[in-house]
Amino acid sequence: MRMSVYIVRRLILLVPIIVGVMTITFALISAIPTPQRIEASFPACRGHCYEPWQQYIPCPSNATQTCVNPLWTKATTDLGLNEPIPVQWAIYMKNSLTFNWGYTSNFSSVVRSFPILQGQQVTTVLGWYLPYTLELALLSMVLIIAISLPLGNLSAVYRNRPVDQVARVMSFSGFALPAFLLGTLILYGVVFAVGGSSGISPFCGGHFPALNDFYGSWPYQGCTAIYGSTTPLYQGYPTWLQDGIISSPTGFPTVDSAIHGNWLLAGDTLLRLIIPAFVIAYGTVAVLLRFVRNSMLEVMNLDFVRTARAKGLSEKAVTKRHAGRNSLNVTITVLGLLFAFFIGGFPVIETVFNLWGVGRLLALSLTGTFDIGLVFGSTILFTFLVVIANIIVDVLYAYLDPRVRLG
Amino acid sequence: MVAQDLPSSEPAIPLAAPEPGAGPSARPRRGSKPGRRPNPRIDQYRRTWYFFRRNTLAMVGLGILVFFLFAFVYGVSYHVDDQQLALWCATGGSNTTCTPGEPSVCTYSQGTLPTGPGCYMTPVVAGVPYSNFLAPTMTLSPPSLGPAPFGAFVASGQVGTPYFENLYDGLVKGSMWSLSIAVTIVSIGALTGLLVGVVSGFYGGIVDEGLMRLTDIFLSIPQILLVIVVIIAGVELGLSSFQGRIFLMVGAFALTWWPTYGRIVRGQVLVVREQKYVEAARASGAGNARILRKHVLPNSLYPVFVQMSLDVGSIPLLVAALIYIGFPIVPNPLWPEWGSIAAEATLTLPSLILTCANLAPGTACPIPWWQILFPGAALFLFAISVNFVADGLRDALDPRLRR
Repeated sequence: MRMSVYIVRRLILLVPIIVGVMTITFALISAIPTPQRIEASFPACRGHCYEPWQQYIPCPSNATQTCVNPLWTKATTDLGLNEPIPVQWAIYMKNSLTFNWGYTSNFSSVVRSFPILQGQQVTTVLGWYLPYTLELALLSMVLIIAISLPLGNLSAVYRNRPVDQVARVMSFSGFALPAFLLGTLILYGVVFAVGGSSGISPFCGGHFPALNDFYGSWPYQGCTAIYGSTTPLYQGYPTWLQDGIISSPTGFPTVDSAIHGNWLLAGDTLLRLIIPAFVIAYGTVAVLLRFVRNSMLEVMNLDFVRTARAKGLSEKAVTKRHAGRNSLNVTITVLGLLFAFFIGGFPVIETVFNLWGVGRLLALSLTGTFDIGLVFGSTILFTFLVVIANIIVDVLYAYLDPRVRLG
Repeated sequence: MVAQDLPSSEPAIPLAAPEPGAGPSARPRRGSKPGRRPNPRIDQYRRTWYFFRRNTLAMVGLGILVFFLFAFVYGVSYHVDDQQLALWCATGGSNTTCTPGEPSVCTYSQGTLPTGPGCYMTPVVAGVPYSNFLAPTMTLSPPSLGPAPFGAFVASGQVGTPYFENLYDGLVKGSMWSLSIAVTIVSIGALTGLLVGVVSGFYGGIVDEGLMRLTDIFLSIPQILLVIVVIIAGVELGLSSFQGRIFLMVGAFALTWWPTYGRIVRGQVLVVREQKYVEAARASGAGNARILRKHVLPNSLYPVFVQMSLDVGSIPLLVAALIYIGFPIVPNPLWPEWGSIAAEATLTLPSLILTCANLAPGTACPIPWWQILFPGAALFLFAISVNFVADGLRDALDPRLRR
């Protein structure tokens, strides 16, 4: 099978998956009461109109009587809530595929904490925060690859020797610790180590006061102690979104700071990402290490490796060039899926380190009164991302291992 | 023709027909006990155990797991007079009374804000119908400076106070909740996946295609999000009581876990199906059901066990993460689960440290380290021991890795 044919076949298989996934989310969102669904399909009302989720409002002509809210009527028509289920499903499919994922709520907890999010398009809001997560995901990917590939190979070559045991215990320990615990321990370890016994974050004010507005303070509310202010400096969203103080051509904080020529800020943004990225890497290295080690072990038992040894190649050349390279196929697949999983955000890590990103947004939209629009919007987004990543991984795998597309 | 003295359910090895005239006793026997045919599967278990035993990490893991097993039994038998949980359950989970006679928000008509102190379901915005998902807001005693770390370990037997002050009860009861939830979820997921995988791999064709697309669909939705969304939908549909929420959580996790098993089993069945011994069984007249039960299933099981043991360790961690990000599956102070106890204490840390920064120098900082350390250590030890056992099992069961 030629590569192009393989890709086309793979893309055709995408259709039932997308339809199926959307059907599941449709079934789940159908369980949400009508007022909340209507609420999630309207932009911010901001007090100037009758709230759309109220079915009956005082009549404009006579306030003592109640009339049907025209916004309610419009919303039920738009969502097809009075239509039979198949029609509702079709409308939902159309909306989802055209990136019309509704609006953030007017009253949810996250919106009341961060009014700028009120009544925005879900896609817009997710678009603001996705670059933050992407930066973190990329950085942690780099760390994971840098740690687990050499360690996995070493672990396989020296199987059941001390190196292997230590590597496995270390990586397992990262996997077995709850992420919030590990993150908190490391965060306060760093804070106390750098900032002294006061527990005041060294990243507060001091050298980089701009960062307090940029990312929120680190850790959460940690800077109030320094300034003695009751108003937290923590703003909840990047400053440039408020008044256009800083323009953001790309949306990626590091890149934007670099474009503006603020290298100090760019470097510091990166610096702030490094510790969370390390925590993420520490927690996930175990997963990858297992795959690297196992695939390496399998390859090292194959005949061509024996041949390479018999030829008299050095052990280094055998493990690196022959076995190492051929064991990469599985690893690349796992890496691709891991990255897709990472784009879905790090609700816990981003919460611990008070970073911005889609995971944090999800976590916030789940606390207090839910933001149904955001929750379901993120579900659709992450599902799409995973599906796309799956296809890329499959194609890459078929490219690397011709047996896949030929067999 | 099968010899008379063999249990008819055990001809795992196709036997040559005995020569006519020669009785069963004429056949040479393998194995130690005369009169009984050796069971090859028992030999295999013994061999696996031999290789498993030589793996130090796996044995350490097994030891810790045995400890947790005892802790589980103790946790089940341990009686806690959990008044608040009982109250919450008795009112169907939709209502609670913090102290008798105090108004509760559910007694108010929808849309009017309650006045004065009370026990509120959720911050209510006037006119907005709110979700009944939220846990009742509990008045937690603030982290006090009082109780000594080891005071928290005195078994009080009644939980009127949060687990912060009653860590022993929380840990013991938590062993019951954490372990039972993990094992239940993984068993349901694995059984479903096993069924789907075996059917799909063995029958192939359109059944296979359909089932595999179904697993693809479920695998495409990120697990955590599917769990969250299923729980939200379920609670909105009326499963908001304590039992309902636990049931929902188990169901939602199982729903996200079966596809992994389905894929693993299918891949394994596809390999086993083509083996010579299956062909031999078919040639000797075995039907589909028999081949499935006797040959395909036993030989596709071991990756399932390995995956199960990995998942059992990670489920309590995921529940803890969900609770940490503020997704109220079950109100934390009511539900003694290791993850929720640790998460609750960890959540108080930022404000505590802030308080400490403003304290006079020399004052002790009231950080509830014991509430983080001990449940965290339990979670950690459980997950890591299960991982070690899984790795040991894998190494012992895969003959290619024994060399």
